[in-house]
This record gives sequence, C-alpha cells and structure tokens, in this order.
Amino acid sequence: MIPVLRLDGVSFSYGSVPALADVSFDIAPGERVALLGRNGAGKSTVVRLIAGLQRPDEGTVWVGDWDTRDCAPEELARRVGSLFQHADQQLFASSVRDDVSFGPRALGVGEREVERRTDDALEDLDLTPHAAHHPYDLPPALRKLAALAGVLALEPALLVLDEPTIGLDRALRARVTRGLLERSAAGAAVLVITHDLTFAAETLERGLVLDRGTLACDEPLAALLGDATRLEPLGLEPPPVAALSAALDLPGRPVRAAEAARELARVARGRPAP
Amino acid sequence: MRSLTLEGVSFWYPATDSPALRNVSLHVARGEIVALVGALGAGASTLLLVAADLAPRVTGGRLTGSAARHDRSGIVLPTPWTQASGMAFSVWDEVAFGPANLGWPTHEIARQVDRALEQLELAPLASRDPVTLSGGELQRVIIAAILAMDPGLVLLDEPAAELDSDGARTLWRLIRLLAKEGKAVLLATSTLDALPEVADRVVWLEDGAIRAVGPPDLLADVAACDAGLGTSVATVWRTSGLPGPYPLTVAHALRRWR
Amino acid sequence: MLALALVLTLTPGAGSSPGLRPGLVVLRTVLLTAAPFWVFLLVLHDVATTVAIGLRITTMVASFVWLVAALEPARLVEAMVAAGWSASLAYLFGATLSAVPVLKARAQRIVEAQRARGLSARGGIAARLRALRALALPLVLSALHEVDERALALETRGLVPGIRRTPLAPPPDTPVERAARWALLLACLFALFRRVM
Repeated sequence: MIPVLRLDGVSFSYGSVPALADVSFDIAPGERVALLGRNGAGKSTVVRLIAGLQRPDEGTVWVGDWDTRDCAPEELARRVGSLFQHADQQLFASSVRDDVSFGPRALGVGEREVERRTDDALEDLDLTPHAAHHPYDLPPALRKLAALAGVLALEPALLVLDEPTIGLDRALRARVTRGLLERSAAGAAVLVITHDLTFAAETLERGLVLDRGTLACDEPLAALLGDATRLEPLGLEPPPVAALSAALDLPGRPVRAAEAARELARVARGRPAP
Repeated sequence: MRSLTLEGVSFWYPATDSPALRNVSLHVARGEIVALVGALGAGASTLLLVAADLAPRVTGGRLTGSAARHDRSGIVLPTPWTQASGMAFSVWDEVAFGPANLGWPTHEIARQVDRALEQLELAPLASRDPVTLSGGELQRVIIAAILAMDPGLVLLDEPAAELDSDGARTLWRLIRLLAKEGKAVLLATSTLDALPEVADRVVWLEDGAIRAVGPPDLLADVAACDAGLGTSVATVWRTSGLPGPYPLTVAHALRRWR
Repeated sequence: MLALALVLTLTPGAGSSPGLRPGLVVLRTVLLTAAPFWVFLLVLHDVATTVAIGLRITTMVASFVWLVAALEPARLVEAMVAAGWSASLAYLFGATLSAVPVLKARAQRIVEAQRARGLSARGGIAARLRALRALALPLVLSALHEVDERALALETRGLVPGIRRTPLAPPPDTPVERAARWALLLACLFALFRRVM
C-alpha cells in the first residue's frame, strides 16, 4: 500500500537561506503525526511543500502517487487539506456555512454531498450553532475553528495543520482533538505542526522532530515525550502529564491525562496505606 | 504601592446589552504578578484593555465604576502583529518606534531599546526586516517594543501563544525579573501550567465577573479542575479519584507520592 | 518630461532590493495602468492628439507609481517629523504608502489558503472573475476589520497627539537636494506660467 504522504530526500532553501536538508519520512493512512521542533526549524516549510505552494529543490514530495512538482495546489486539494497559520484571517464567505462548504463545492462533488460534508465538519467541531454567522462577527478563536472545519469538509486522505490550537482555550482544544481523532478513525492521516506538547500527547501518536532543517527524530510520541534528555537538545521539554508519569514512574509511562489518571488510581490502590 | 486599582468596574462594548465585565474590583501592586485565567470570552482581554486605558477611550462603549492607574501602562495584545508599526526598516527601529513617539532623547531611546532587545534575546535579529520574522519572533519583538517604553504597569495578553518552549521559558523568567525591578504585571494566559512558578496571585474570571482570587494553589481546587482551569497535574489527580488537596505541579506530586 | 520619468522608473528604489528588476516591475505597472487611457484616447481622437495627451497622462501615472514604489514609508515619516510635522499626520501619510505591501502580503496569504481548498483561477473568464471576487471580499473585509484593530494597536505604541516625536534617523537634507527641490518647484511654476500665457 502506498503511503498517503512521502518525503524523499527533500531539501529546500528560501533563496540562500537553507530551510530543509534531506528530509525523508512516510505517513500511512490513519496515522496521526506531530511535527515538532523549535521556531524556525523548518516545520512550516514542510507544510508549504506538501500543499504544493513551493517545490522542493532536491528530492520529491509524494502525495499518494502524485509528485507535487506536477500538481497545482488546487489539484492537491483533492488529497490534502492544508490549514495554514493565522487561519482566522483567511475566511472569505459571508457565513460560516458558506465558507466551510467552499472546499467540497470546489472539488465538484454533488450538492447533496457538499451539504453532508459541511454539516459533518461543523458538527465535529461543535460549530453548528454558529453556522449562519458572519465569520468576522465571531471571536478569532472560533474563526480558527471555522477555518479548520473548512479543511475537514474536504474530507481529504491527509490533513496537514499548522499550529491549529494557538489562541484556543482548553475546551476548544479538546474539540479539535475530538474532531481529529474521529477523522483519523475514518481513515484520514493527520500531520500537525504544534508547539503545544500537551495537545500533541492527547491527539497524536507519532513524533517527527525537526532540528535546524533536518529530521532529528521519528518515533512513537509517547516514548519521546517522556524523555527529557532527548527533548532538551531539540529545544523541547516534556509536557506536564508525561513529566508526572516519569517522576512517579507510572507503569506504561502514559502521556495522556485520562490514562495517567487511571494508572495513578491503580497504583494508589495497590499501595499499602501510609 | 498600588499601580492599578479597579473598583466595581462594569464595562459594555458599544451596541451590546450584556456587559463584558461585571463589577470587577482588582488591584495590582508594584512588584506583583497577577494572572487572569478563565474560559475564552470570560473578560480577561477586556479587563486588560480597561487597565490600559484603551477601553472605553479608544474602543468605545460604557464603563461604570472607577479605574485608577499610578504608572504609565504598556500592553501587548493577543494579536501582536497588529501592533507592528509597519514602517520600520529593522527590528531595532521597530522597538525604537514607541520610545521615539514618546519624544525621548536619542541616547535614552538607544539605552531602552538595547536593554529590551537583550531581555528578549533579540540581539541577533536586530537588523532583520520585521516583515521577514516568524510569528514567534514577532511576538517577542512586540513585547520588547512595549517594554522599551518603560511602562510601570505591564499588561500582557497571551504573551506566550506563539512561542516555542525555549521562548516561553525566557519570557516567564523575564516577567519575574520585571516584577523584581518593581514593575506591576497583569497577564492573561491559558498556559496554566506555567503559573505556579510565575504568578503571585491568580484571578479567575467567569462571564465577566471575578469568581475567585488567590495564590496559584487556586488552580488545584476542585472547582477549578472541574471548570477546566486546573493545572495538568491537578486535573489528573482529580480524574484519578484520589483524595484532595490536589498537587499543583510535578514537584508537589512527587512530594505527595513519597 | 516623460523621458525623465521613464528614466526614473528604471532606477532602483531607495533602500529596497537594488537592480533593474524592481525598476522593470514599476515600468510594467505604469504601462498597465496607463494602457486603458491610451485605448480610450484612440477611440476619441486622432493619432497625433492621442500621442500628445497619452504621453502626459503616462508621465503623471509614472510619477505616482514611482513615488509609491521608491519612497519607503519609514523614511517619509522620519523626514516629515524632522521637518516639524506632527507624528500622527506623518504616520497617516506613511500608512497610506505602506498599505500596498501589507495588502499585497495578505492577498497572497488568502490566495494560498483558497488554492489549498480547491479554488482554481485557471479556465475561462468566468472562473477568473469568480476567483477575483473570492479574493477581493476577504481582502477588503479583513483590511477594514484590521483598521479598527490597528487604531487600537497604534495607540499602544505611543502615538499620542501633542507629543513631539524624536526622529530616529532623519534622511539627510543636503544642499544639493534642497537646491534640486527649489529648482523643480520653479520649473513647475515656469511651465504653468508658459501654459497660461
């Protein structure tokens, strides 16, 4: 089975400034991957290459069996749904629903299908009560969610999201987590750039770490997030739940809140009373 | 010595019936760090705008109650890119924009700008064109730009939103330093886990009103955890069903566990 | 006059990327902007009149376009403030000039986001018009929305009426430049005088 996404020896520079050097990785359908690293490590460049907005200087970006060099971004939209940073400034319809339905309509699926995809995307992010509102009447956080809904409505094989949770409070972040888990269960692959490691722990399962343009790590997120000695040179630190698991030596070193709570309770029960 | 005193402040944005702030009384002393926490829309940003004397003066709307400031304030908005002057050749010039507008003499401007750049570790970027900066870099530049105006009352709205963990750590350290230098700091943030090490007091806002005020231990209260405003560690403890009081940080948890 | 303007359009802008390239971009903008006028003139007048009037219009257009391209808003603000204008007024001029690149950058971001959702600008006129409309609306809306935010944001940077802003690096005003300014002004007055007589 061909991977949903493959980067094969990809290098890219903005003029004379190198951004990526020889980056290679695959993503399979249904996988949920975090792209981590310091500010400036090259993460957003990866998103732009996948979306077809730039072409790699060396190597190839494969979206399924399509070489991004041969495709325009609007063609790649059939397979990849990309959400860029500051998405709240990119909405353009007069209602949330119209904006969200733009994508599926541009894909040319039938009107009934457009409605279904729009409704599902709005539902997944609890945006249905705001469907008729003008995007600029909503606070920036909800605009961000509306932009995400617009990408979900494409129902692509691969979702690529650049910092989708900046400016969201815990409740809204949880909505995003739920939405992405549902999509991945339905078979979509998810690649999220984020510096919110708590969000990554709750939502994603594999970690790619970029360090000054090269791929420094590619491994299961749970193991990576609990390992302070690995994370520190990469400019990262374990999120609180992972740090808690490590400090208390909880079995399985869970990095998700619910699992940590369960293990904590279990271990506490098994302990002799003080 | 108080830097900011709000007494019974209620505020309505223009053409809105329901108030964004209800009867809020709050004071911030020089040298103190007060953190505002709450769900989105709870009123933290509005409170900061009132503290900065931008609401209702610039935003319009109606305010009842009293707001008294004893220091010049500087505010960093949650949308720092809107605060960029749009006409600076370099990061240095961008940071100097504010002090220049205040009419300070050139040597004083240079002193403040250099200091601010150093505090935010921006010296390597000093000659970069602000247009080429990433979101996180720009956020740091705007913070430097506001600090260069030497405000006595520092107001920060989600200052770490776009920063990576190195940048965030530098920021929290800087905030503690500012307080030690005698500035009053009032900040709104949704990164609750950083607060136990940073804030002297935490104010919980709900629907425009103050629901609770207290030391950061507030973030380990049952009520806070249930409202989604507990620290990650406290929330895990609560979910596990273990008895309270819940530990605030990993270090607290470790002490409890032994 | 036109020759002078055209030569100026080809000189690199002050401070920005050097070389012929920006000069050509400006020239292209000038020609594109002036083109509709020429068409209009040709319809109404004979060739000789068309050329006479067309050249004048092109010169005017060239001057404006070159001014906007070559004049960096920051330098204008500095120069105005150094000359004694109030900071707010200087900023108003400067902001008007800098609006173009800001809008351009935003337009690019919006177009990219739209393309990533399947909007295709290729195809016939209808498709291009639709794409243009899809761009224009959010651009204007977000620009308007941002005006509010910007007004608030600029207050935070100390733009308060009544305070004399300190010029940071006022562009030097050499005697040659001053002489050139007076000479140009006199030349304009002279030309006007000649016209009227």
